[in-house]
Amino acid sequence: MKYVLIGLLKAYRFAISPLYGQVCRYHPSCSAYALEAVTVHGSIKGSWLAVRRLGRCHPWARGGYDPVPPKRVPIDTSQQPLGHVNTTQGV
Amino acid sequence: MGFLGDIGSFIMTPLYYLVSVVLVGWHKVFGAVFGAESGISWVLSIIGLTLVIRAALIPLFVKQIKSSRNMQLLQPKVKELQKKYGHDRERLTQETMALYRETGTNPFSSCLPLIVQMPIFLALFRLLSKAAGGHGHGVLTDHDANLFAHAPIFGGTISSSFTKSSGEVSVQIVAICLVIAMTATTFLTQRQLMSKNMPADALSGPYAQQQKMLLYVLPLVFAVGGIAFPIGVLLYWTTSNLWTMGQQFYVIRNNPAPNTEAFRAKERRDAEKARRHGHTPEAGTPATETQDPSSETPKPAPGAAKRQQPKKQSRSQRRTAKPKPKPTTEQGETP
Repeated sequence: MKYVLIGLLKAYRFAISPLYGQVCRYHPSCSAYALEAVTVHGSIKGSWLAVRRLGRCHPWARGGYDPVPPKRVPIDTSQQPLGHVNTTQGV
Repeated sequence: MGFLGDIGSFIMTPLYYLVSVVLVGWHKVFGAVFGAESGISWVLSIIGLTLVIRAALIPLFVKQIKSSRNMQLLQPKVKELQKKYGHDRERLTQETMALYRETGTNPFSSCLPLIVQMPIFLALFRLLSKAAGGHGHGVLTDHDANLFAHAPIFGGTISSSFTKSSGEVSVQIVAICLVIAMTATTFLTQRQLMSKNMPADALSGPYAQQQKMLLYVLPLVFAVGGIAFPIGVLLYWTTSNLWTMGQQFYVIRNNPAPNTEAFRAKERRDAEKARRHGHTPEAGTPATETQDPSSETPKPAPGAAKRQQPKKQSRSQRRTAKPKPKPTTEQGETP
């Protein structure tokens, strides 16, 4: 299930997303957020995080820097995704 | 997959109703004029559906325009960040986004318009393919569905596509024309955005090269994919693209991103307008002119208000800057 979602998200990011240019008011963009969320948190919690982010992405929101929250459970560092090594919480 | 299917139908069922209500509504209007069974009334109904949906999204567009209006004032700060983090793309994006958040100014339209339009597009697609099998959906009755799917258009039907044209050459020609129109509008919109409304430094570097390549590759992908779409869906898509194009034209003309080709064009137009109305050319470019006095004279001395140059200067600066007016008195002060 997780890999199906990842595949779909990657396909979207390759084929559809570039058509519209940047529209997202956040960084990382909603689809990048969803991809990372599903990769890190798995299909269920990742999807939930992604849906909540999409709900936040409307013209009345201020946007800004909004990274995927790191996984709570202590895990070995090799599991950590790319963006989380040295990000300072921007806002 | 049963659970996911439930979620899917939970989302899609209201959309089938929404799309069919608008579609049937327009068909009542156009059917009364052109006849319920004519192809043109269904074609116009689909175009009407597109226009209703895009018009419903106008508030989002207006809000976006408002929140990107101060981009010009933000430009010095953005430049500063670029100088500071120019080597680190990720950090630069983070900081720029944080700045947008702080100031409540954001040039991007948000994902909402896309997220809303995608399922509507899907709903129309499914409505049409079900109608082709003689089944109505939403408020579209089976009878209407038959009319809809078999509405004649240039010898074919609205539900036929290039690949499902049953050998009709005229249908294939119509489908190809629509695919080309759809692809061309997508391409032109994107190219207009890149060439007119993006600053030059955003158009260089490996990332921009990739963007440019996609600009040419993706329309091809869509053209190939487009031959499988029914004519009715292509109509919706093309109309929607045309609307997007118009909207973007409006933005680029009236609200261009700073530091771009479109921005300079607007400045020229404004200057031209000001000249025609008999003002001085300075009135047309207020951005740089009005910012200067506020930033350079934070606290003017009481007597300074009536002087010709209110800028704060040191004595040595004053001496070198304007030696002409009353050189004798100024030199008389120093000894």
